Amino acid sequence: MDKKFGAARPYITMSMRRCRSVALALLLAMFASAAGAEESMFAFVYTTDLLPQGKSEVEQWVTWRHQKNGGFYDQLEGRTEFEYGLTDRLQVALYANYNWTQAFHNGPFGATTPPEQFADYVVGPDDIFRASRFTGISGEAIYRILSPYTDPIGLALYTEPTIGKNFFELENKIILQKNFFDDLLTIAFNFTYAPEFRNLPGDDDPSVFNWQEETDANFALAASYRFIENWSAGFEFLNEREYNSFNFTHLSNSAYHLGPTLHFGGERFFFTATALWQMPWATVHSDTVPGTLVNGFVLDNDFEKFRFRLKAGYTF
Amino acid sequence: MKASQWIWLPAAVISTAAHATTYFSVEQVQRAIFPGASFSATSLPNAWRASNGGYVIVDRVVGKHEYITLAVGIHSNGTVKQIEIMDYKESYGYEVREAPWRAQFVGKSASSPLQLNGDITNISGATLSSRHVTDGVKRILQVYETSLKGKR
Repeated sequence: MDKKFGAARPYITMSMRRCRSVALALLLAMFASAAGAEESMFAFVYTTDLLPQGKSEVEQWVTWRHQKNGGFYDQLEGRTEFEYGLTDRLQVALYANYNWTQAFHNGPFGATTPPEQFADYVVGPDDIFRASRFTGISGEAIYRILSPYTDPIGLALYTEPTIGKNFFELENKIILQKNFFDDLLTIAFNFTYAPEFRNLPGDDDPSVFNWQEETDANFALAASYRFIENWSAGFEFLNEREYNSFNFTHLSNSAYHLGPTLHFGGERFFFTATALWQMPWATVHSDTVPGTLVNGFVLDNDFEKFRFRLKAGYTF
Repeated sequence: MKASQWIWLPAAVISTAAHATTYFSVEQVQRAIFPGASFSATSLPNAWRASNGGYVIVDRVVGKHEYITLAVGIHSNGTVKQIEIMDYKESYGYEVREAPWRAQFVGKSASSPLQLNGDITNISGATLSSRHVTDGVKRILQVYETSLKGKR
């Protein structure tokens, strides 16, 4: 490893204070030169690539969710993340999550319906709903069992607890990755099992809140090819399923999203952008809420017609 | 703390930009691998024959974001004398430049396995670069075997 510490040579003759400033500079240099980007190749799908031990990264996410049945509906989800490589196989992260939304006549039968992150708000059917909130804090740990560079396939396990007001979720993933063409083509598959509790106003008496259980069980596939240095492009495909239970019974929604992804990875900076359109392939299930399935589109809870996510990261 | 004491901080920041570095030109790497030798062109645009009978072959392999350029010096008997990383532009994985890791390739030939986690030790945290450099050396030795060996 080559480190060019040009500032070190004259410190023998310096005062103690100057020595401390040099030491600070050296520490900064050591830390910064140890930092490295293990960027997100995809905006929604995870890969088994992790930060090496002792390296760190900051990421900013913005997700725009747009349009439901009618009226208007927009939601901007922000996430600010700090990642750290505990070992070469284990990466941990901490997220701050915050949302802004506006909705009007967007839900079943034209009723204004807040998005899932605001489901504990009491909103009238003809209200114009605008709100923002700090939705919670998330932790994350990813452990890589197999590497796609030295094993036939990459395999990693992921867990992410999130806690917020009236909300707790434990998102778990199995991550698979296979590379082709000298690692220029990356293909990743995720299975997600995410049980959650939400404390929601009752249907009969909105002043009485009840804890309700729900599970998101998702399948996701993505592929991206590095077509020139630093730039990759491909697609992401998601099948998101919601169950009103923890054991895959009472399926309420199943939606399919498909769209292109673009990734830039540089020495210290990366960004990834993916646009997803819901495919009109949804059907009625046992717990589908009347009025939420329109022309093959699921528009309940956190489903919408279009979503766009931008992730950007920087090493320091 | 006086403002002048912060003069070291830019130096520190500049030092961190050293990863995107070209370490050798072709001429420099030729001299580094076969000191004192003169070089002549071969039928391959990226290979040069040294006056002592050896060869220097330059190639590039895929890195995480950009290409890694490497040079392999080959003795006249077809074994590796030395490998050098000529440029490296990634934010990490630059441990492939460290001499002990590169020394594993010395003495290898086209008949060697050159397998990561086999006869070549992986660098944990720099697996992609380790594998691609290993594959690159293997490919260069195959090129030598098929296109340069025994030619004058």
